[in-house]
Amino acid sequence: MALRVRIASILAGMAGCWLLDVLCRGMLRESEQRLVVLAGLYVTLAVSLNLINGIAGQFSIGHAAFYQIGAYTAGYLAFFYYGKLPLQGVPWLIAMLFLGMGTAALAGLVVGLPSLRLRGDYLAIVTLGFGEIIRIVVQAIDLTAPTGEQVGGALGMNVEPRIRIVGLVWLFALTCIAVTRNLCKSSHGLALLSIREDEIASAAMGVQVPKMKVAAFMIGSAFAGGAGVLLAHSESFISPSMFPMDLSFIVLTMVVLGGSGSITGAVIAALTLFYVPEYLRGLKAPDGTALTATGANLVGWIVAVVAAVVVVRWLAFRFRGTARQRAMGYLATAVGLLVVGRALGWILSSVPALQQAEYEVQKLRMVIFAGSLIVIMLVRPEGVLGRHEFSWDWLARVLRRQRAREAAG
Amino acid sequence: MVPGAGLSLAAALDFGTLPSQVVNGVLNGAIYALIALGYTMVYGVLRLINFAHGEVYMLGAYTALFVSWAYGFRPDVPPDQLPESSLATLLVMMLASMAVCATVGVLIERFAYRPMRNQARISSLITAIGVSLLLQYGGGLFLPQNPPPTMNERVNPYRQTLELTLVGAPQQLSEAVEAARREFQAAERTFEERLKSEKDQFNLSPEGQRLRDAKFEAERRLRDAESKLNSAQVTVRVGAGRLAILVASLLLMFLLRQLVLFTPTGRAMRAVSQDFDSAALMGVNVDRIVTITFVIGSALAGAGAMMTATFLGTSITPYYGVLPGVKAFVAAVLGGIGNIPGAVLGGLLMGVAETLVIWAGYSQFADAVAFVVLIVVLLFRPGGLLGSSAVEKV
Amino acid sequence: MSLLRLEKATIRFGGLVAVNEVSFEIAPGELFGLIGPNGAGKTTCFNLITGMYRPTGGRILFKDRDISGLPVAQIVRLGISRTFQNIRLFGSLTALDNVVVAAHLHRRANLIDALLGDPRSQADTERLRGEAMRYLSALDLQDVASARASDLPYGKQRRLEIARALATQPDLLLLDEPAAGMNPAEKEDLAGVVRRLRSEFGKTILLIEHDMRFVMGLCERIVVLDHGEKISEGPPDHVRNDPKVIEAYLGEAV
Repeated sequence: MALRVRIASILAGMAGCWLLDVLCRGMLRESEQRLVVLAGLYVTLAVSLNLINGIAGQFSIGHAAFYQIGAYTAGYLAFFYYGKLPLQGVPWLIAMLFLGMGTAALAGLVVGLPSLRLRGDYLAIVTLGFGEIIRIVVQAIDLTAPTGEQVGGALGMNVEPRIRIVGLVWLFALTCIAVTRNLCKSSHGLALLSIREDEIASAAMGVQVPKMKVAAFMIGSAFAGGAGVLLAHSESFISPSMFPMDLSFIVLTMVVLGGSGSITGAVIAALTLFYVPEYLRGLKAPDGTALTATGANLVGWIVAVVAAVVVVRWLAFRFRGTARQRAMGYLATAVGLLVVGRALGWILSSVPALQQAEYEVQKLRMVIFAGSLIVIMLVRPEGVLGRHEFSWDWLARVLRRQRAREAAG
Repeated sequence: MVPGAGLSLAAALDFGTLPSQVVNGVLNGAIYALIALGYTMVYGVLRLINFAHGEVYMLGAYTALFVSWAYGFRPDVPPDQLPESSLATLLVMMLASMAVCATVGVLIERFAYRPMRNQARISSLITAIGVSLLLQYGGGLFLPQNPPPTMNERVNPYRQTLELTLVGAPQQLSEAVEAARREFQAAERTFEERLKSEKDQFNLSPEGQRLRDAKFEAERRLRDAESKLNSAQVTVRVGAGRLAILVASLLLMFLLRQLVLFTPTGRAMRAVSQDFDSAALMGVNVDRIVTITFVIGSALAGAGAMMTATFLGTSITPYYGVLPGVKAFVAAVLGGIGNIPGAVLGGLLMGVAETLVIWAGYSQFADAVAFVVLIVVLLFRPGGLLGSSAVEKV
Repeated sequence: MSLLRLEKATIRFGGLVAVNEVSFEIAPGELFGLIGPNGAGKTTCFNLITGMYRPTGGRILFKDRDISGLPVAQIVRLGISRTFQNIRLFGSLTALDNVVVAAHLHRRANLIDALLGDPRSQADTERLRGEAMRYLSALDLQDVASARASDLPYGKQRRLEIARALATQPDLLLLDEPAAGMNPAEKEDLAGVVRRLRSEFGKTILLIEHDMRFVMGLCERIVVLDHGEKISEGPPDHVRNDPKVIEAYLGEAV
């Protein structure tokens, strides 16, 4: 890629973030801006986890720990030093960003070292345990403010200064994506991929496996820590309950759904899995109360999904036909899912017990999350995008093919 | 640390309650052991960490609760209208919990884990996480949790507190107590008789004063002798119901041991956990063995859940199994995952360790203990206390 | 001057002695063979030399330097490379990428450059890809450069493994049963490739094989292992007629 294209991309990225910032400030309410910020943070978390899990092939399922470490670095430092140093405002935030990334990277080192001795499930459990230890320790630490009040610990603490800049958060997310992309296109990235494929063969070809594994952990955790710093200042408040184990699972779902190893997939999955539940949360019934689903509808949809999963599995693993036939099959299944779900819900609503049982769609959110995780694993374990990546070359190829098809008539 | 801090900590620890706490730790450990057995057996045959096992445990607790409601121990029934509980009631509850858990376990294995058998290990792990979350939040939709229900304490027919002497005191101390008691009773009798016959005058006369002092003196000597006796012997106070946990757990573990060591099914289970493919090639119906493993593991968890809910009276929520699940998993790893006696040992150690941490005054770290133990074990001895480590051949 | 020297190299696994005080020397530029019945310890020897196992006794010297127990990546850097008995390619990577991973050993841009994506990293990646392409061409694999390694036919996979091992620029190349599963015509080709490895690339070759004719026709000196011990050594003619070797392969001497 020529230098000119590279510089153009960087400038375009920065301009895009600035534009996004202007648009958000002009058109969106404060609460909606907050959502855009959170979306950017989730994208960063997903892409950074994808580096550790998808590209380097490690089993890290405690990513929220690094997020929390970054946030609390900013929190504690602000508690002790903000206002006492010449640095204020955005420069302070930038400084916190670097410090937060630094501490998170150190944590990544601590977690990465066991990865050298542990395989698979064991490593996964250690990363999870590490995350929980961080959360419990932070919960137990109480600080006393100059005013004499207790802060920190389980109650949470305020973080100064309050800075929420949509453009900055998304610039950070773009940086994370760019750095990961650079890594993947270099020979170092290939070395990481080779570790994922076959560690022993990789070492036999001269790759310094321990160094690269730990490096992957440190880079991935550094970006998660940076996201934590941005969260702390955006919300201006942090508490241990903001970083539960479930958060790690949500980010993991994003990576898995999008396709382990695909940056594009991680980004798309993060945006989808973040915005769809938020959209559902915002839905209201016509009379303004929270939206509910009846038991009939729920059962109907569950049955339809189960049937669809069975059909798709059969298509994916047993069906002998051309790729086109298979694609038609998937399409038919998707349509069938919608039809059957709706129909069954309508049929079952004649059962009074099911019609009267009402469930808030809000509560269904996590259930849908967990359900989609299972469904994806059953239907397409490599994720929706698998290992495919978006790239300008790919786009060029597609356009070229399109043009060739048109030329052929 | 302040130099005196260590001493003041020691002074703050109440060593009198230590034996009771250790016994409580063992009882909690028995529950952890029952759950840990499920983890370790499934890992043994499938090399899969069954994240959803904690949720199976939770469902067992709810089952026991619902069965107790069916018997009439509903929360809206006033205490005088509650039925009588009996061993039969408890047995029905336990069997129901075990049956429901076994069924759920089999369903999970059949529809979520079996399709993942040929995929990468992390796919199974992720699926297990998904099932776990689904059961937790699904339970949050359908199961009663606001406010979290508890089992009515009258369901437990063994509510008395037992006092057990673990270590007896030397003969002479108890004889001394007897002697002191007799002296005191004599002194008291003398005092009472004189009081009755001579009344007010006696109270104020020097003679009366002397007898009263003698009585107090004798009483003081009695109390001294008693406390010497108490500190020499080790007694524990434990609820009878809790002891039932220990008895039932030991019985179940013994049955499991017999099954694994002496039946063809047990032999097949051991073969599958050694080498899945070879066992299949040798004609073992691995699908059946895996199913049986899940049945047993889940049933044990169900039994544990029923006992916790009934005898320990904890409040039941859909997240009931999260912490016990993690701790039991750590217990399994501590003992050596895949190793059945290891799971029992690990469970007991975890239970005692946790209780001791709380007893020492660090209850906010009680949950962290599990994770710290986990990491220490995995870093320094991944095979656990009773396990071994294998070398990967190139 | 010997390139590789094993001095009473030994390794035991618990009670089993897999390699028992084996000693031999390989001079630079030799075509050296390691043969023996199944389970004799040949691959274990390879694993000892390449650093996957640490010898429990004796030592291994490469260019007169003791490499016993050094980490694998370091031994590769010193100049030893290998192929595997069961092909261990990076299946989901392309053929070219497989070789780039090995060429990565001689990178000139560090990790920071790679993360930044700066010109130095980009140029270096280009250079490594070019090198990798050259190795592929040397083994006639240039047409399948962008094919997935796991999609390639067996013969091409074996050659790809060799191309990959070459890319680390070793002085000593260890080939573990390179001819396994090949028909006679393919074996002829392979023998030619191995000879070219020595003549064109200046590599010293140590190879394990079961096919007697292949080994005898190709190697200049041969060492025979049985039950972890060396039972014979010398040029093909000597080894072929050694009664101990015949007994090891066929049972008692007829």
